[in-house]
Amino acid sequence: MDTAQLLQPEAEMDAADAGAFVAGAIAGDSGAFEQLYRQFSPRIYGLCLRMTGQREAAEDCTQESFIAAWKALPRFEQRSRFSTWLHRIAVHTVLSRRRGLRNLYEIAEPATGLPEVSDPGSGSPPLDIEQAIANLPDGARHVLVLVGIYGYSHAEAAASLGIAEGTCKAQLHRARSLLTAALGLEEK
Amino acid sequence: MTEPARNSLDAQLAKLPRDISPPRNLWPGIARSIERGGLRGAHRRQPMAWAAAAAVAGACLASALTWAVLHGRPVAPIAPIMAAQPSYGDVTTARYVAARNSLEHAFQQRLPLLDPATRAKVEASLATIRKAHEDIRQALIAAPASPVLEQLWESTWQDEFDLYEHVVQATQPTMTRT
Repeated sequence: MDTAQLLQPEAEMDAADAGAFVAGAIAGDSGAFEQLYRQFSPRIYGLCLRMTGQREAAEDCTQESFIAAWKALPRFEQRSRFSTWLHRIAVHTVLSRRRGLRNLYEIAEPATGLPEVSDPGSGSPPLDIEQAIANLPDGARHVLVLVGIYGYSHAEAAASLGIAEGTCKAQLHRARSLLTAALGLEEK
Repeated sequence: MTEPARNSLDAQLAKLPRDISPPRNLWPGIARSIERGGLRGAHRRQPMAWAAAAAVAGACLASALTWAVLHGRPVAPIAPIMAAQPSYGDVTTARYVAARNSLEHAFQQRLPLLDPATRAKVEASLATIRKAHEDIRQALIAAPASPVLEQLWESTWQDEFDLYEHVVQATQPTMTRT
């Protein structure tokens, strides 16, 4: 399944409603663009929230994505659906922002997944799945979000993330294993 | 991971909503930025294109500089790792990335073999290429479907690949005549 197929409900909106708003926004109508924001911001915010694992970062990335989209709209050639195009902008935004933060603050990626929170033997209750996803190491979380939740193919996710397809598959396996442990899904 | 655990996890993932409304209205901030931005589109294309072109020019210069610095050093016949080099058509293929990772590993091992001055120039070139790569990635945020930018982005990967290749070749142990 490719991203365009995944976004089918939005694709229908693209054709029926968003098309006119896209055309208006391309022509410089900020009111039309606001309608696009109303329509697509939940999907973009959801993607950003899950990729960053942080609410404030997700809000910033969502805003930056829509601002970047507004600036780029005159060059949007409609070869892909607007929603797919917007998705690509959001993924680029999250990755660039994260790379910038890493350069500035030397953020260290956890060496192993789910530290402090996933100890099945500790007697603590299993984590909520959203929290467990947020606690995944960045590489594993990005792949899980794109492939496991938003339906990207491994090839699409690997291309978006700048990694090999094999690495993508390995990260997904890693993410699933860590989530299974964190959620207490393994049989004892 | 057991099959029931996998199925249970899949079921939970499938139930997750893809849409999550932002906790606050983000539109006013977007609108302010749009209003401040003024002209857009064609008027912005040129600076962005120039920025990307400048980034690529920098990367090419860095690559050429590395070649010039390393030129003249004894170069052995191409090693097996070079023979396995894939076509550069698609930098996202697993084959390409695997070859690139292998070459980068060899590069990291060989870098200490260079004299300090050469090494410093190589490291500076690599930093320039990576900066160009990041600049183009930023430009891709503004124009994610731009085939020109995609091509430029790939070319910086190629420059990095070339730099690794130059260093690995230049530090090959010379063959002994028998």
